[in-house]
Amino acid sequence: MSTTSQAAFVDRHEADVSERDAARVWGTSARPLPDWFQQKRSRGGGLVGAWVPIVLVGLPLAVILAIVIYPTVWMFYHAFHDTNMMSLFSGNWQPVGFANFGYVLTSDRFQDSVSNLAFYLTFGATLQVLLGTALALIIYELVRPRWLQTLVLILLVLPMMMPPSIAGTLWKFLLQANNGAINHLLINLGLMGADQRIEWFSVDLSLVSLVIADTWQWTALPLLIVYSGRVSLPPAIYEAARVDGASTWQVLTRLTLPMLREIIAIAFILRFMDAYKFVDKVYVMTSGGPAQSSELPVYIAFQKGIREFQIGEAAAYAIIIFVFAAVLITLFLQYLKRVMRHQGVTS
Amino acid sequence: MDTNAKRIVVWLILIGFGIWVLFTLFPLYFMIITALKPVEEINRMVPTFWPETFRPDNFRGIFADPGSLKSLIDSVIVASANTALSLFLGTLAGYALARYLTGVVGENLAFFILSNRMFPPVAILIPMFFLFDATPWGTDSYWSLIILYLVFNMPLATWLMMVFFRDTPRELEEAAYLDGYTPLRAFFKVTLPLVFPGMVSVAMLCWIFAWNEYLFANLLTGTTVKTFPVHIPSFAAGSQTLWNFVMAFSLVAMLPPVILFIALRRYMVRGLSLGVVKG
Repeated sequence: MSTTSQAAFVDRHEADVSERDAARVWGTSARPLPDWFQQKRSRGGGLVGAWVPIVLVGLPLAVILAIVIYPTVWMFYHAFHDTNMMSLFSGNWQPVGFANFGYVLTSDRFQDSVSNLAFYLTFGATLQVLLGTALALIIYELVRPRWLQTLVLILLVLPMMMPPSIAGTLWKFLLQANNGAINHLLINLGLMGADQRIEWFSVDLSLVSLVIADTWQWTALPLLIVYSGRVSLPPAIYEAARVDGASTWQVLTRLTLPMLREIIAIAFILRFMDAYKFVDKVYVMTSGGPAQSSELPVYIAFQKGIREFQIGEAAAYAIIIFVFAAVLITLFLQYLKRVMRHQGVTS
Repeated sequence: MDTNAKRIVVWLILIGFGIWVLFTLFPLYFMIITALKPVEEINRMVPTFWPETFRPDNFRGIFADPGSLKSLIDSVIVASANTALSLFLGTLAGYALARYLTGVVGENLAFFILSNRMFPPVAILIPMFFLFDATPWGTDSYWSLIILYLVFNMPLATWLMMVFFRDTPRELEEAAYLDGYTPLRAFFKVTLPLVFPGMVSVAMLCWIFAWNEYLFANLLTGTTVKTFPVHIPSFAAGSQTLWNFVMAFSLVAMLPPVILFIALRRYMVRGLSLGVVKG
């Protein structure tokens, strides 16, 4: 049935219902229904008044207005003012135009943090999705029997359920230079001399340590998503490919990966979206150090805003991140819309 | 292809896979044995990979500090209250979006609400810090966390509930109307039971996200209200961290999400992938 005829059917149907309903409300007496009653009903388009859905959606929108829109506007305002803690509490901040942005964008601290973020996105988020995809397909294809598959899946997903702050604490403990478990494990395995120690939290390696801890924890998310996607692929296609004599490699590159393309993209986007919110582990493991070598833009914004009380600068950071995020979010949602239509989740 | 070569490739892949499994499990294993060691053994220059002295008493020792139990209770209060609020608002809005606002406006509204989940929290937290600071109860209260966690949990709940409501056939509700049900009664008696499994998974996801949250709790609270991630650094003697207590307490604190996940993993995937992957 086409959409229009279906809608017409539903309208007619609902009109009947509302008449019946009205008759019930007004009793069975022969008293005619007043005009305004029926008109009001039909304008609502159904059994409930038009105000009901508006209120239902309005509640969360009001909450979002209060806790997202208001703060964002506040940030935009202060990004163009020289606000710091003193002036915020005495109420005399001055407009400074784009000075905050100029200061932030030209500062070494910001530029370093952006290159740190790029490093993290490449070797953290991207690697996690590639690894997760490979692991998911290996589990599905090669791990037998079925119960072992489930067990391996649960074991590999355990880190993801751990609070990120605890994962950070754990890795900080494991990566201690002198008596850390990882260094001594490398020695025991013969990969490193007995008197050698890797300084995991040095200027050169602190970012790498963060990436290791994050990859350990979050590879499970793409793994879980891709695995579920692979499970839901129709077996008939694989049967047909087998009958046609396709090799394993052909099945992987011509069938599995193309059919999982959208799901892998979703996993990638989810990891990417979390990446610029990545601060828990930075706080717990390195506090951005040593010598600001593992700072990310979001971390600096928090430090400036809540520890150093340079509200104007913090706001400039926040706005830059906001613009970057807004572009990404828009692109992502466009894609999600397409995927959901394609998968039949929405009309 | 040569069967021998093929078998070698498969074995190489399986070995690589085994290495990854070990890499995943080793930190968890070391966490557990550290929680069972006495602190003197942990502080040696060469760590032991199997505890020489077992000290299961550590799990009792962490609760010698009354703050430990209180921090867990605080976390339960914040996570549960926030979940209830998120789920309530999300279910209502999700229902309206799935049933009544199905046009272009409704769709864009749904995507707008979802976009708030992906929002960088930095743009929110700093102004909210000063806003809560100006309220009579201050930043350091249950309310500040319960309200702020709505930023990421409510959009998720709304979006997922909308997806779940769309999965349920509208015709059932209409049949209920014909039987003389009011819209409210049809919603509670017909539609809600159908989406109940979905609601449970949304509730669990929201609860886990709120339970695991560290950043907001660290920056806003810490004295009157102290959720468990903020409490962990207090396991120290002077400048020395008591790693056995840290690990024992962490293990206790990560039990709820792990148990929830294992019990509900079937529903989790759908929620984690924003409803795209039907797990």
